[in-house]
Amino acid sequence: MSESEPFIGIDLGTTNSVVATVIDGVPRVIASRTGQILTPSVVAVAKNGKRLVGGIAKRQAITNAENTVFAAKRLIGRRWGAKEVEDARKVLPYQLVPGPEGHDVRVVLGGHSFAIAEISAMVLAELKADAEAFFGRRVSKAVVTVPAYFNDGQRQATKDAGRIAGLDTMRIINEPTSAALAYGFGKQMEKKVAVFDLGGGTFDVSILDIGAGVFDVVAVGGDTYLGGEDFDRRVMDWLTFTFAKEHQGIDLRQDKMALQRLKDASEKAKIELSTSQTAGIHLPFLASSGEGKAALHLEKQLPREKLEELTKDLVDRCIQVAERTLRDAGIRPSQVGEVLLVGGMTRMPRVQQAVKHFFGREPSRGVHPEEVVALGAAIQAHSLLYPQKDREVLLLDVTPQNLGIMVVGGYFSTIIAKNTTVPTSQTHVFTTVQDQQTSVRIAVLQGASEKAIENELLGEFILDGIRPARRGEVEIEVAFDISADGIVGVSARDVDTGQRQSITVTATSGLTEDELRRILDENLDELLERKQSGETDKQRDRLQAMIADVEALVPQVQAALSRSHFGKDAVQKAQGVVAQARSAIATQDREQMATVEERLDRTLQLFKGLASGGTLPGGEA
Amino acid sequence: MKRATASGRPRKAGVSVDRYQGFVFNPADLSEDVDLDFERRREILHAQSNLQSWTHWQVLGLPWNAPADAVRDAYREKVKVFHPDRYPGKRLGSYRTRLEQVFRRVTEARDVLASEASRAAYAARTAPADEFARLEARRLEDEQRAKERRARLARSNPLVGRAGRVAELLGRGKQQMAEGRFSQAMNDFLTAASMDPGHAEAKTLAQEARKRAGAERAREMWEKAQAAALDDRLDLAQELAAGAAEADPANPRYAVFAARLALRRGAIESARGLAEGAVRTAPSFAPAHEVLGEVLAEQGDKGSARRELERSLELDPSLASARDRLKKMRWSFLG
Repeated sequence: MSESEPFIGIDLGTTNSVVATVIDGVPRVIASRTGQILTPSVVAVAKNGKRLVGGIAKRQAITNAENTVFAAKRLIGRRWGAKEVEDARKVLPYQLVPGPEGHDVRVVLGGHSFAIAEISAMVLAELKADAEAFFGRRVSKAVVTVPAYFNDGQRQATKDAGRIAGLDTMRIINEPTSAALAYGFGKQMEKKVAVFDLGGGTFDVSILDIGAGVFDVVAVGGDTYLGGEDFDRRVMDWLTFTFAKEHQGIDLRQDKMALQRLKDASEKAKIELSTSQTAGIHLPFLASSGEGKAALHLEKQLPREKLEELTKDLVDRCIQVAERTLRDAGIRPSQVGEVLLVGGMTRMPRVQQAVKHFFGREPSRGVHPEEVVALGAAIQAHSLLYPQKDREVLLLDVTPQNLGIMVVGGYFSTIIAKNTTVPTSQTHVFTTVQDQQTSVRIAVLQGASEKAIENELLGEFILDGIRPARRGEVEIEVAFDISADGIVGVSARDVDTGQRQSITVTATSGLTEDELRRILDENLDELLERKQSGETDKQRDRLQAMIADVEALVPQVQAALSRSHFGKDAVQKAQGVVAQARSAIATQDREQMATVEERLDRTLQLFKGLASGGTLPGGEA
Repeated sequence: MKRATASGRPRKAGVSVDRYQGFVFNPADLSEDVDLDFERRREILHAQSNLQSWTHWQVLGLPWNAPADAVRDAYREKVKVFHPDRYPGKRLGSYRTRLEQVFRRVTEARDVLASEASRAAYAARTAPADEFARLEARRLEDEQRAKERRARLARSNPLVGRAGRVAELLGRGKQQMAEGRFSQAMNDFLTAASMDPGHAEAKTLAQEARKRAGAERAREMWEKAQAAALDDRLDLAQELAAGAAEADPANPRYAVFAARLALRRGAIESARGLAEGAVRTAPSFAPAHEVLGEVLAEQGDKGSARRELERSLELDPSLASARDRLKKMRWSFLG
């Protein structure tokens, strides 16, 4: 079969994202247009209203903290009012608001409110554009990864994000499974593999039984709120605390710019400590000590032991999860044939030691912790598009959490137990409890607690149009199914008549179909706008030509100015205009390009006049 | 939704050229316009129509009681056939749902048979007839042996043995209490309490049983006493009534009755003793004071007699006999 259509696998991470594909049977990572493997999962709206994604967004975060969204993955698919969202609101520099229905979470960026799925879509679109630049043509087929412990709402929202970004998301797969796939691809093996995936924001453990090309997940466990960001935060808290102690209680948390600088410095120090014993943190002019007084600098040495002490409980939590997951899988640590470390956080020596101690074996060094997930996704995309005769691959994943409904007394009744292989389905018969009852409300939940309220509410369904009868006479069979993506579907039928029963979803944490359509329409508008980018290209070319002309004239102008008493600063001013023009070209902001073009034109005319021996007309340069 | 799992026993692997011998395919299903070859269609249709009737072993194409390793290998082979992901880009039509159904069934079979514990339980349930009989016999034998072992242990261990005996006595005592045989119950409880002196429940139960047994005996004696009094055998009646009062000291009625009988017989001294005893145990029981008053009057102590009679009237103004008695005393005093 000809492999005509290009496809990609995307690791949509909390802090960084990676895109990969398979070429001639070899999985490989696609570098961004600027040559980077990792694209920061950061989205920003610049002061001029321009949307920025990736490295460029991350670099401007310090000066534009309120309008820079990072770690959106921690919020995706979460309900407004959930504990995780409340915690995030306290520490995030950007503003969160509830969606129009009050269920989901929105981010305010440049005065505009965005669904979290839209933010993730911007990152996906950036990766898609990188892949398109690589292939030289349109790409739409993709497999996107999510943490194994993501629930239905989070998966659904990720799928929505793919749709908004213009991707045909063939499958959502779990990150640890994906990593195992990349590890076992093309190798003859027969063993149990444990994947220990500690990423930027989430932690997953998966136990797989690999053999004969079948990647069979036995059990998964995790914590969707435990990752590198939490390690950074410990360092940040330590820095702010010691700073306050040394400088009469100055609270750096009040200053968003200082906070952003601290965050960057903490992350950098943490990474540095993976290879060295101590890391220096230098943040000059971090805060002012009051009106007219000298600025304060932060100068600190962070030894590796201190970092380990600050984050000991986080590492312990990881090991506890691993222990629980092994128990669920019904195997002992010694029966594990290989341990894979995935995610940037597993570079931390203390984490590696803890894993080694728990499993009693050296973890595998064969995989690249940051790239492996995207590579696995690409392999899965490949096998979902083109059948492989010689290297067959079949993923069998499981549901991470119990799926069930709320029953009388506020209790949770499990319908599909966790660690059930997907796709799967299960039916449950409901009966009317009142005479002439025509509708039944069903709350569908996911979680581990016996109390319904402590679990994640996926949605509320109303079964209506039930034929009127005495109570208990009508029996309605509700089928719950979980797709290979881990996404939940519900359907119902009358047991006696076999008639399908209508189901209405009344509350979910994601976007409604209407909203999704509206966003897709808006994106279409934007695409149309980009059609005019031919115009932008011409404008850019004109600007670049003018910049070259101005710069060529500088020596002559300087010579002319040295003979004059006026306009000594003309060259400086011109350089300012040139710099502005360059930044306008970089951000592709058409409005700014138009303004700067005008100023550049005036500068050029002036320079031409000066160079040809004329005198300075005075006033503006 | 549970299937009748034990309904189909694995059949003997026959020498058959056609794997689907005797199975009738629906021509419409076989001729559906999908990208699957003929053999694959037959395999899927055959598996799907047997979802309910096959055992977990049959679903995986394994003999009964195949080991866990074989289960895992067979599962891998089956999912490669029945997982919808194995047919990328192909039109599957109605076969998609068929595949998914078979896949779920195959996975279910694996889930039961891959774990050693559930595999053994399932193997026992689905064993062929002769195998089943053998297993059942062994199970019964094991059970018998376990029981004997427990009994031996109990005998050889004094602590375990005594605890068992105490529990047994308590159980029997409670049963007797419920049946109204209080004295037997008391006996058992007392024995239990003496075997295990720290056993608080045995002690309280013994006390309770003793009280109820006494009341029971007292009532019996009282009934006999009344019968004897009617026969005019007053000495026997008095003796029985006094015995009742002794057996159930909480009930003053018996002592009062005995005192009256003594009075009628003219045994003043014993009447006084009985009456005083009744007043002592139940100071607020009017008839006790009345009878004491009568005894005192008979003995000539009129002042004390009147005080007792007045006391009884105070406690129970409706006591007509006491009132009459007082009136008479007043007259004799005047006269």
